[in-house]
Amino acid sequence: MALQRDVIAPKDPAVDMSPNLNLPLSPAIQAGEFIFVSGMVAIDATGERMHGTVAAETRQILAAMARVLELAGSSLAKAVKVNVLIYSMLEYNNMNEVYREFFPVDPPARTVCGAKLCGGSKVEIECVALA
Amino acid sequence: MREILPVPSPGLDLRHHYGHHQSPAIRAGGLIFCSGMVAVNPETGEREHGTLTSEARRIFENLKLLLESAGSSLDRLVQVHAMIYDRIEYDVLNRLYRQYVPNAPPARTVMSVQIEAGFKVMLDVIAAA
Repeated sequence: MALQRDVIAPKDPAVDMSPNLNLPLSPAIQAGEFIFVSGMVAIDATGERMHGTVAAETRQILAAMARVLELAGSSLAKAVKVNVLIYSMLEYNNMNEVYREFFPVDPPARTVCGAKLCGGSKVEIECVALA
Repeated sequence: MREILPVPSPGLDLRHHYGHHQSPAIRAGGLIFCSGMVAVNPETGEREHGTLTSEARRIFENLKLLLESAGSSLDRLVQVHAMIYDRIEYDVLNRLYRQYVPNAPPARTVMSVQIEAGFKVMLDVIAAA
């Protein structure tokens, strides 16, 4: 039997960057028990890129990610794996300190690496969560 | 159902040793999601920097411990993200890698990125529980 696949596309520019940035991606896809969330960068309420410190961008992204998951009936507490990309690993702790506020107990598995990001963003975060 | 797996050996808990805000591995939906693993001593958590080969060997041995303690194994890997510090080491990674997954290797992506604490390799895996 084919696994059901549903697109999760909130009509909110603050959490769906794809229309404003004209990107060929869905914010998230639910397949079976899992929700796969696209790599998210910091955007403001109108969907424009928000450039800030690593701490500010991390906070903006995780708040938006929480909303995407909640609109899909899930939550950050149900995240099982998070991948964080930052522009420089020298900023690891600046990300980690904000990150821990969003996962007060039983944090998900996580991988952090330093990578060259598009569009001048300093942080990009993707995740897999239980539906 | 989302279950945090206990570490089989105290050194593998990077949250405890280094404050990385992450669980070592989580079981959910029949899969095991592991946090990115780097070369640490499984007993003490001490970082073991070395060549890419020695680091990757240490990671695979730790991964074996972790997966087997959860009833899985290296044979049950589904997907691997292998992160290396420089693409020039790609063949070096492959030589060691094929020793640990000799048959029916998992899906894999290799990328060249900055890894924490000056490590040369990190493995990020999903395995069947």
